[in-house]
Amino acid sequence: MPNDTEGNAAPKAAKRRRPSTRRFLLYFVAILFVLNAFWPMFTMAATGYGIDWTPIFTGQFAVRYIAGIPFYSGGIFPTPASYIAALTYLHFPKLMESSLIIAFISISIAMLVGIPIAYILARIDIKGRNLVAYLLLALRTISPFVVIIPLYVAYSNIGLFDTYPGVAIAEDMLILTVVVWMLRGFFQDIPREIYDAANVFGKSEGQIFRRVILPMVIPGIVVTALFALVLVWNEFLIADTLTGPVTKTVAVGVWSGLGDSLATVTPSSFDDLNATGTLAFIPAIVVMLLIRKYLAKGFSLGTAR
Amino acid sequence: MASRYWYLFFIPLFTLLAVVEFYPLLDSFYRSISTTGGLSLSNYQTMFTDSAFWNAVNISILYSLTSTLEALAIGLVLTFIVIQNLRGRSVFEAFFIMPLAVAPIVVGTLWSPGGFWDDIQTFNSFILHLPVFSETTPAFYFTVMTYSDAWEWAPLIMLVALSIYNATPKEIYEAAELHGASAFQKFRSITLPMVLRSPVMQFVVVLRFIDAMRAFEIPLSWSFWIGFSTSVGSPVDSLSLYLYKLFFIPLFNFPIGLISAIGILLFCFTLLGAAIMLRFIRVIGGQ
Repeated sequence: MPNDTEGNAAPKAAKRRRPSTRRFLLYFVAILFVLNAFWPMFTMAATGYGIDWTPIFTGQFAVRYIAGIPFYSGGIFPTPASYIAALTYLHFPKLMESSLIIAFISISIAMLVGIPIAYILARIDIKGRNLVAYLLLALRTISPFVVIIPLYVAYSNIGLFDTYPGVAIAEDMLILTVVVWMLRGFFQDIPREIYDAANVFGKSEGQIFRRVILPMVIPGIVVTALFALVLVWNEFLIADTLTGPVTKTVAVGVWSGLGDSLATVTPSSFDDLNATGTLAFIPAIVVMLLIRKYLAKGFSLGTAR
Repeated sequence: MASRYWYLFFIPLFTLLAVVEFYPLLDSFYRSISTTGGLSLSNYQTMFTDSAFWNAVNISILYSLTSTLEALAIGLVLTFIVIQNLRGRSVFEAFFIMPLAVAPIVVGTLWSPGGFWDDIQTFNSFILHLPVFSETTPAFYFTVMTYSDAWEWAPLIMLVALSIYNATPKEIYEAAELHGASAFQKFRSITLPMVLRSPVMQFVVVLRFIDAMRAFEIPLSWSFWIGFSTSVGSPVDSLSLYLYKLFFIPLFNFPIGLISAIGILLFCFTLLGAAIMLRFIRVIGGQ
C-alpha cells in the first residue's frame, strides 16, 4: 500500500483511489454477511410458500405422473396454501392471542414489581440492595429445569397447569431480571442533577420518584416492555412445559403443530412448519427493529449504553 | 428516615421470587435427596455414574465454547463492517440484527437439513457436481448447531461492540489516520483491544456462555431432524435436552430424583456464574 505522506496532492489522490477497490471488497463482504443473516429466513418464508429451487438447478420443470396422478415435484410456483392453513385450521391467531395474553400478564407483573426495585438499585442507597441485585442475576442465569419441573408438578396439583396466570408467572422468571436491570440503566441515565434539584425543592424521596423521575422514564418503560414482549414471544421451554392445548403459545405451536400432546413432536408438514415459523418471526423482527437503539442495553442487562 | 419505606417494595419482589424460584428450588433439592429408603445421596451417586449425564456435560461445554467463540468472531467482523461507514450503513445494520429476533426454536428449523441445507445440497450436486454430503455425521450437525447458535447471537456482540466503539473518543482514530493506518490496522490495534478489554463485553460474553450452557431449542430440533428424539446419550444431547428427555419420555420412568439432582448441580454452577458476572458489574459501575 502507498504510504508516502510527502506533498499535498499525492496523499489526496491516493486517498481517493485507494478506497474504491477496498470499498468494493468491503461492500462485497458486507453483502455476504447480509445474505448470511437473511438467506436462511428468506428460505424459510419461501419454503412456507412451497417454493423449491430444485428446478432452477436441474432444469426440470416437468410435472411427473405417478400412477396417472399429476404429481408436482416442486418448482417456483408459490402457493399460499400453508399460510392460509396456518391462519385457519392451524389456529395461528389463537396461538398469537395466547402469546399476547401471557406476555401482557407477565410483563404487567414484572413492571409492577420491577420498576421500584430498578429505581432502588439505581438511586436509593439502602442496605441489602446488592443482595437483591445478586439474586436477580442468579435468577437470570438459573437453568429453567431446576425450577420448571417442580412448578409443573405443583401446577398440575393445584390446577394452574395450562392456565394463563400460571404460565405468565413462570415467564416472569425469564423477564423479571431483564426488566429490572434494563430499567435500572434507564434510571441511571437520568442526570443526577434533576434528582438533586427536586431534593432542593423539598420533595420527599417518594415524591421525587413518582412526580419527577417516573414520568421521565416512561419511554424507557415502553422500550423495556417491547423487549420483554419479544422475549416472551420467543420463549419455548417454559411455555412448552407449562402450556397445554388451551394456552399454547406461538413458539410452542410453531414446533409442535396442533398436536395437543406435550411429548410428541408432530409438525403438520414441513411447509406448514416453515409458514408458521415465518409468521412467528416477522412480528418479532418488526418490534426488534423498532427498539434497535436499545437492544444492546436490553441484552447486556443494562450494562451497555 | 423515609428511605426505610423503600423496603416495602421488596415484599412483592420476594413474594414473586418465592413462587418462581425459592419454592421450586427447595422442592427440587428435597426430591433430589429423598429416595424410597429415606433421605440419601443415591441420586447424586446415580448421576455421577451415569454415562449419558457425562456425555451431556461434554456436549454442553463443547457446544457453549464453540458457539460463544463463533458468535464473538462473527460479531466482531460485523462490527468492523458497520463502523466503516458504508453507504446504507443503517440498512446493513438492520439486516445484521434481524437474527436476534428469531425464536431459537425457529432457528433450529431455519438451519435444518430440510430447510437451508436442502437448497445447498441441490446446488452442490446439480451445479457443482459434488457428491451429496451426509447430514447425519456428528461433525456436520454439531458444526451447524453451534453455527446457527452463533448466527443468532453474533448481532448481540456487534451491538455491544458498537456501543463501546461509540463511547470512545474519536481522537485516537484521527491520530492513527494521521500516521497512515489503514481501516483494518485501526480496527486491529484500537477497536479490537478496546472492545475485548471492556468489562461490558466480558460480561456479555460470560452471560452468553452461561446461556449457551443451557442451550435447549436448537439441540431439541436437531435431535428431531437426526432421529435422536427418543434416545439419550446422543451427540446432540445438551444438558437441558437430556433433562427434557428424562422428564418427558415415558420409557425412562420419570426419574424425578435424578432430574432434580442434575438440576441442583446446575444451580450450583449458576451461582458461580452469577458471582463472576456480578464482579464484572461492579467493575462497570466503578468506572
